[in-house]
Amino acid sequence: MSQDLLLPLIWLIPVAPLFSAIVTALLGPKLLRYRSHLPCWSALAVSFACSLGVLFLLPETAPEAPAAASSVAAVEDSAANPATDITPQPLPGAAQDADNSETLEQAVSRISERAEQKQPRGPEYTAFAFEWLSVGGLDVHFELRVDSISAIMLAMVTGVSLLVALFGSGYMHHDPGYPRFFAAVSMFVFSMCMLVLSNSFVLLFVFWEMVGLCSYLLIGFWFGKPSAAAASKKAFVLNRIGDFGLIMAIFLIWTNFGAVDFLSVLNSSEHIAAVEAANPGVIQLICFCLFLGAMGKSAQFPLQVWLPDAMEGPTPVSALIHAATMVTAGVYLVARCTPLFVMAPLVQMTVSGIGAATAAIAALIALTQTDLKRVLAYSTVSQLGFMFMALGCGAAGPEVVTPAVTAGMFHLFTHAYFKALLFLAAGSVMHAMGDVIDMRRFSGLRRALPITHWTFLVGAAALAGVPLLAGFWSKDEILAVLIQATRTGQHSLFFGTILVIACGTALLTAFYTFRAYFMTFCGPERFPEEAGHHPHEATPIMAWPLRILAVAALLIGLAVGPTHLFGNYLHNTVGLTPTEAHFHIDVMALSVVLATAGIGLAWMLYVAMPKVPGAVARTLKPLYALSLNKLFLDEILYGIVVLPLKGAALLSTLIDRRLIDGLIDGLGSLPIRLSNLLKGTQAGPTTSYAGIMWVGAVAAVMIVLSLL
Amino acid sequence: MNHWIQQHPLTFAGLLLWAIGIILLMPARNGASKRPSPVALGLTGAGLAAFLAGFGRTDAALVPELLFWIFSVGALAGGVLMITARNPVYGALWFAVTTLCTCGLFLTQSAPFLAAATVIVYAGAVIVTFLFVIMLARQSGSAGYDQKSQNAVVACISAFLLIGAITKTLQTTSVDFPRPVIASAEDQKLSGSAENAAAEEDSEPKQESAGTSAAGLAMSSTSVQLADPEDLAVAAATPAPVPNQLSKADANTPVGSLRGLGRSLFSDYLFAVELAGTLLLVASIGAIAIAPRREEGAL
Amino acid sequence: MNSSTPMTPEELRTLMVAAGLFILGAIGFITRRNLILLVLSAELMLHGVSLSLVTFGRIHQTAEGQAFTIFVLTVAACEAGLALSLVLSLYRQVHSLDIRLWTELREPDVQQPPSDDSGDSSSPESAYVGIPRLTPAGIAPRAVPGEASTTRA
Repeated sequence: MSQDLLLPLIWLIPVAPLFSAIVTALLGPKLLRYRSHLPCWSALAVSFACSLGVLFLLPETAPEAPAAASSVAAVEDSAANPATDITPQPLPGAAQDADNSETLEQAVSRISERAEQKQPRGPEYTAFAFEWLSVGGLDVHFELRVDSISAIMLAMVTGVSLLVALFGSGYMHHDPGYPRFFAAVSMFVFSMCMLVLSNSFVLLFVFWEMVGLCSYLLIGFWFGKPSAAAASKKAFVLNRIGDFGLIMAIFLIWTNFGAVDFLSVLNSSEHIAAVEAANPGVIQLICFCLFLGAMGKSAQFPLQVWLPDAMEGPTPVSALIHAATMVTAGVYLVARCTPLFVMAPLVQMTVSGIGAATAAIAALIALTQTDLKRVLAYSTVSQLGFMFMALGCGAAGPEVVTPAVTAGMFHLFTHAYFKALLFLAAGSVMHAMGDVIDMRRFSGLRRALPITHWTFLVGAAALAGVPLLAGFWSKDEILAVLIQATRTGQHSLFFGTILVIACGTALLTAFYTFRAYFMTFCGPERFPEEAGHHPHEATPIMAWPLRILAVAALLIGLAVGPTHLFGNYLHNTVGLTPTEAHFHIDVMALSVVLATAGIGLAWMLYVAMPKVPGAVARTLKPLYALSLNKLFLDEILYGIVVLPLKGAALLSTLIDRRLIDGLIDGLGSLPIRLSNLLKGTQAGPTTSYAGIMWVGAVAAVMIVLSLL
Repeated sequence: MNHWIQQHPLTFAGLLLWAIGIILLMPARNGASKRPSPVALGLTGAGLAAFLAGFGRTDAALVPELLFWIFSVGALAGGVLMITARNPVYGALWFAVTTLCTCGLFLTQSAPFLAAATVIVYAGAVIVTFLFVIMLARQSGSAGYDQKSQNAVVACISAFLLIGAITKTLQTTSVDFPRPVIASAEDQKLSGSAENAAAEEDSEPKQESAGTSAAGLAMSSTSVQLADPEDLAVAAATPAPVPNQLSKADANTPVGSLRGLGRSLFSDYLFAVELAGTLLLVASIGAIAIAPRREEGAL
Repeated sequence: MNSSTPMTPEELRTLMVAAGLFILGAIGFITRRNLILLVLSAELMLHGVSLSLVTFGRIHQTAEGQAFTIFVLTVAACEAGLALSLVLSLYRQVHSLDIRLWTELREPDVQQPPSDDSGDSSSPESAYVGIPRLTPAGIAPRAVPGEASTTRA
């Protein structure tokens, strides 16, 4: 029954935003104009409803506890002949795929060493559309597949997007690009949904690129602004670096696995082991390339520099793309490919290390930023680092893998809500302040913007890890996983270091978040002149999404964290094994201490003793400058990447202009030069033409005579 | 090539000298002398003499031989002097000399009418017109462009290569021209009979039918005795080399006779004659149209 | 009838003279720069051709050679008339008979060859003296300086 319902739902999720995008793009400029939000709203609402439907219907598709197949041969038999299986069949093709995968999964779970107990494996559903590519050995089906992790991602993406779209219609009102904005947002949601729903690496790559394209369009939304144009270009180019890694990974997967769909690649751990055995090190290479792709999309060090610059786009875009959805694609990819990553502990440690480095660097930079949105952007980068830190913990041992992925994904899930909330609140501030976002130019907005104030406070508290709020639970899980990783396996020193960094970063996070909060909302009431004398609070259409997100930030962690709803749901994903739930009281205590310390420090410095920060900045001038200038990362990247490239480009230009063009032009001018030699004979005197003709005639006559 | 030079050294040497002489004779601005240099003149003359002498003696009678020599030397020498003349007036006068000598050669080649016509047309009309134009266009002093020739070496070399090739071909290739032998009156009497001629005419009905209305003229003149009827039949089968019956010379109308020429012109080439007349008319109209109007105080 | 009689030496040498006239005309046409001499050279070539035609007619014992020569004569007359009127109209435009002044056929970007006879005046008076000249009507004959000086002396 549920399968019958799932099929249209799955299709509706991406198709509705696509339809909206097309309609808005075609009719928007002429017909819809400032009603362009209507198709977007309705489409996103449909998508969100469908996502919720999928989220709740999916577990019901879980097969009955399998009749234990006694041998591999039996499993293969049932795989070859799905009619013997007793699972309901919603669609012939889809059911067959599902059956195959499930039986394979059974085999996996039976044989896999790290999963002793037998479990009915993940509910999932595949909707086959058509054979897209069938070239040589490459078989790519246009298939949508939803399993636990996709369902969660879909619900989160569509939900946050819907709220952002609601907010955006208020925020963007009377912008000349209003229809364009909503067309791009719809397109973005479509791409993101398809990315999550893709059933093969190739399809995923296509929509991975489309997400990148939409982010380019949205970051450069105000393309008249040079900084926005530059930022969009920067984001696009840095994403290309990551995409290079991803496509290399896809090539490697195809050459080594002979297939690019998730089922064949991920579902059979002994297949992965066989590939690794046949070609040692290849899985590591694949994983590293995959992680390179994830680094680009999820803004990990050293490719993180695009994300803060991407704040040049409209604030709803920042909330949508750079907080809640797009940047999570990398995390999603790594989590999705967990079966591969567990075979490559070295890469997992790299993931952790990079995540820690990113988190720490971003937190340090965020300390001194005065641009409210930039602080939030760096906090996003930092939190993404947290997620990768958690994802990499699987290296410690097989039993850590599931908690690690669960923690990473959980943090992604909660982070989406409170970070979207923070961004939207920042957008509300910006809206009220006449597009001024520099925190030094306003303060004490508490009374002027009450709704914005308390929603921002909720978001900041959630980000800082205040107990019972969303961020608290997920960060707590990450720290717990880190502690577990430190205690197990042979990499305890490595993960110990990571843990220390994570704790320090958590402290810094609490500090800079509340620094931003205090600087913005506390202190004497000051407005920039751009705002006029009476800054206006958010309109209802902007306020309601803030309220809803605030409630979500308050409650969602509590709802799914301690109850382990999230974890249990996610455990149905391939590569994860259900584990018992733990409450980590010690970790919670640590977390609370860190959050309190950070908030307290921020209160002391920016409320109680507002003169101290300046003094600290003066005494620690080099460090302050280092942080303020983003650790000079842009400059360093410029020096070590851009300058050599520029040199190479210059060299290429020289070679192209001088050598190649010279050769070509020389070759091209050869006829001209040759003809110039002869052109002298064309100087015009009539008799010279006659003479030449005469010589030719004489030659002809002589030839004829010599033939006589 | 070598063979030809060995056989006709005089002709070859003559051509060579002639060519060198003309090159030297050509007016050149940087040449010290405005007059043709005597050396060059001598070279040219020697070359001409050798060239003509290279043809060898003929067994012709003295007077025609003498006439040929006078006229050919006059024509060629006049031509050389004409093309090397520093002064266009002299050039025109030398051209008149050449024309007259050519007319003399026409005479020796049994074309008296042509000789007369050429003298009348050229000497009487063309040369005078030329001189008139030269006088009209004459500038004070000698024009620089008359003192400087162009492409002299190339032109001379190629031209003498051509005449060398022609000479060699004529002297070494034995082309047997199909030459109708005109029977003398005695021959005609010896073997002549009307029947013979009639049979002969029967043997070539094709040509007869192809003839124009003037064919009767030829038919009536039965005094033609062709050398070999079979040969004629062969020739009829391959009609290309056989000249038109009508223009064929016979005892009554020998080659060059005004009668033969007129008959040819106004029977075979009647249409061409009319065309030529039209051409003359058109050309005269065109010349008047092209020639600049006379303005006040201008030419 | 087609007895293979080679041409007689008389005919051969006449042909050679005709060829000589022809090439002389060609040389003149190519080398000389005076428009009138060019036309005359062309006529010289026509003479050569005419002589050849007559000789051929004699060799073949037909009247056609002479008939053709008549046509050549006709065409030559036409040509002479047209050429002279063309020469006159060209002369009217540049007041010179130099053919090198007419370079309309040249490639547009090719340098016109330097006219090496720029100084018509610088060229000394022709060595041939006593050529009859037409003095323009209504203008007093110019006194030749040399003569004047000699008379004064």
